[in-house]
Amino acid sequence: MKKVLTVFRDEFRRIFALRPVFAVLIVGSAFYAVFYPQPYLNEALRDVPIAIVDGDGTSVSRELARRIDATSDIAVTLVLPDLVSAQREVYARKIFGILVIPKNFERDLLHGRASPIALYADASYFLVYQRVSGGVTAVARTVGAEVEAARLIGIGVDPVLANAASDPMQLTAVPLFNPQGGYATYVLPGAFVLLLQQILLMGVGLLGALPGPVPAENATDCPPPGPFATVAGKMLAYLLLEAVILPLYLLALPYFYGLPRLGGVVPILIFAVPFVLSVSGLGLVVAAIFKNPLSVQLVLAAIGWPFFFLAGFAWPTEVIPPAVHMASLLVPSTSAINGFTRLAQLGAPLADVRAEFLMLWGLALFYGGIVWILEVRRRRPDRRNVRIAVA
Amino acid sequence: MLARRELRPGFWLVFRREIDWLRRRPFLLAFVTIVPLALMALLTAIFSAGLATRLPIAVLDLDSSDLSRSIIRMVDATPDTAVAVRAGELAEGRGMILSGKVHGLLMLPQNLERDVFAGRRPEVVFFYNTQTLTIGNLTLRGVSAAVPTAAAGIRLSLRTAQGQPIEEAEAALSPIPVQTHALFNPTLNYVFFLLAAILPSLLQIVVVTASAYSVGIDVETRHRLRILRRLGGGLWPAMAGKVLPYTVVFLMVLGLSDAVLFGILELPLRGRGWLLDIAGLLFILSCQFLGVLLALLLKPTASAVSVGTLLTSPAFGFMGIGFPRLGMDAFAYGFGAILPGTWYLTARIDQTIRGTPLDLSWKPILVLLAFVVGFAGLVALRLESMRAHAARDAAGALPALKEALP
Repeated sequence: MKKVLTVFRDEFRRIFALRPVFAVLIVGSAFYAVFYPQPYLNEALRDVPIAIVDGDGTSVSRELARRIDATSDIAVTLVLPDLVSAQREVYARKIFGILVIPKNFERDLLHGRASPIALYADASYFLVYQRVSGGVTAVARTVGAEVEAARLIGIGVDPVLANAASDPMQLTAVPLFNPQGGYATYVLPGAFVLLLQQILLMGVGLLGALPGPVPAENATDCPPPGPFATVAGKMLAYLLLEAVILPLYLLALPYFYGLPRLGGVVPILIFAVPFVLSVSGLGLVVAAIFKNPLSVQLVLAAIGWPFFFLAGFAWPTEVIPPAVHMASLLVPSTSAINGFTRLAQLGAPLADVRAEFLMLWGLALFYGGIVWILEVRRRRPDRRNVRIAVA
Repeated sequence: MLARRELRPGFWLVFRREIDWLRRRPFLLAFVTIVPLALMALLTAIFSAGLATRLPIAVLDLDSSDLSRSIIRMVDATPDTAVAVRAGELAEGRGMILSGKVHGLLMLPQNLERDVFAGRRPEVVFFYNTQTLTIGNLTLRGVSAAVPTAAAGIRLSLRTAQGQPIEEAEAALSPIPVQTHALFNPTLNYVFFLLAAILPSLLQIVVVTASAYSVGIDVETRHRLRILRRLGGGLWPAMAGKVLPYTVVFLMVLGLSDAVLFGILELPLRGRGWLLDIAGLLFILSCQFLGVLLALLLKPTASAVSVGTLLTSPAFGFMGIGFPRLGMDAFAYGFGAILPGTWYLTARIDQTIRGTPLDLSWKPILVLLAFVVGFAGLVALRLESMRAHAARDAAGALPALKEALP
């Protein structure tokens, strides 16, 4: 036990003594915390500019345009004479949608005929497309229902029945957990977990690959720590470090950026233990494979970010090929992003993330075991040296 | 004769030296070839479905009428959603959302059918998980396509029951139908949207960090830069000889990934191929010179690689694919503007799915060209100043040495 503590103390000291490690773990953590969320801070896309091509030019068509402009999603910035000139503006990225109101729009509507309008929405950016098509469709439906109800009342139908006939069964959509549909609320909880993994992987990888400063001064008195003590002591050091960084990322930052959190603190911290252990284990394995600190840095820089897309966050797990999904479970973030998000954002009890929790413990044991075997091997006396010594 | 010509200083000598050097460093060679290609293969496999269909949702049917059953059938029949489970009560459905089994819960209230035909306008409620925004919206799209279709049938029968002619009743169902056309990506395919943007972003990380690394190693030992310059017979040939071998490698990696995107995944090329190639070349060169510049400004190499990682690995968010730059604040918009990837993706989207007319295509390409010229100029300036420094140090050291000697 004393040896575990010795290793723990030495390793913890190395985090602050080795400049590259300090830069990654401490400076990197601080930098990402401020820098990464910047693109998403506005949460929602508002007032996406579109153009209107009004072939009708009547009071009803102008009223429709005005009501579309009044939504928070869309702003009508241009009124153009024809579709061709409007298309050029789309190519130039000045506008992201074209609403064409055909001639006789008002006449058809007032005569009780279906009076279609055409929307061309830019689908090269999906969020833009969603905003424009959602906004226009909602306005057209409301205006349409009003027109229909007014007409029914006009021919003498009871107003209550008229409304029922135009909308007999309402669909109420209740968004859960992220009611505003904010983009930061969506992407940041998962991204913070990925950043934690990336920073810890890089830090531990560097600690494993860099030659350390000579450890404790009394090292000569007692025999060097055994393989188990070495692994346990190091893990303890990383756990202590993450006891500061992880709550900062998963509790303080979400609070600071105004992200809703439904889950309690305790389940999050319990879930964090196997996450930190498995990531640390993976970091030490990466260090053992690549040995050179620069190689560790380069490889982790390249592979760290694509892990985000494995987690079923940006792209549903159900449509990821099963073999790829199985392989992706070897990376802690795949289970951790899902687990942490459900615990914190959805307020799920620990029992609901049992599968992810057990998977992370499994990974912690798996990578910890590999590191332990590597330590045992490292200690085995090198045969060549022995032979030279005998000679 | 031949050997002498080969040894003449110049671009080719540096170029060959670099290739030899790369051959003797299997790690770096793997890092600029196998690593990006393997990651691209992985990402391609993830998104290979292109469309997310039949996402599981749960249904809580409290009515068990013909109407409620037909609604469930219609929801199950939309491409977006699949009714995976029947929940017995609300809490059970909620639990299934929390544990991630389903993405939403459709609740059909008691007496739905009776109330609909009595004109009481009952509510059908769909609870969906918007924590995973895109997936939640997809399930909503499915449900909100299916339920109004079911409602339309009822409205039709309500009206014809009142003696309205069927054509008139049909027209009245939807007085202002919106015919929505999704420009440039009519099927809303994620391969064309997300994957096509992720692959260059990944290459940006690899190119910047690998360039910082390969040059950083030369910078760390001072005389190496002098040797390079002498081998090249001047600043520019030496720089070109050092940088271009990697340009060729990266272009091959980009070409391979594009071959898969265009050839197998059928990403359309509606614009001009040659313009896309120019943009690709300029993108890789600007990333390379950015990496080189970092290596010349920051020592040791580890710091240059770290800063390169810090700049490029969170870059995807700033390039405005997921959340468009249109909605960003000034800082994020500005930072996005100084990333080569932002402009390359703009040019790519222009030339692949959008098919932007030629006269509107030049801006991102000119910006990339400005990056290449600017970064290369800064690299040259920095090299010149480092050389002047070294010369001054040497000049200062010489008299001191003479004095010290007896």
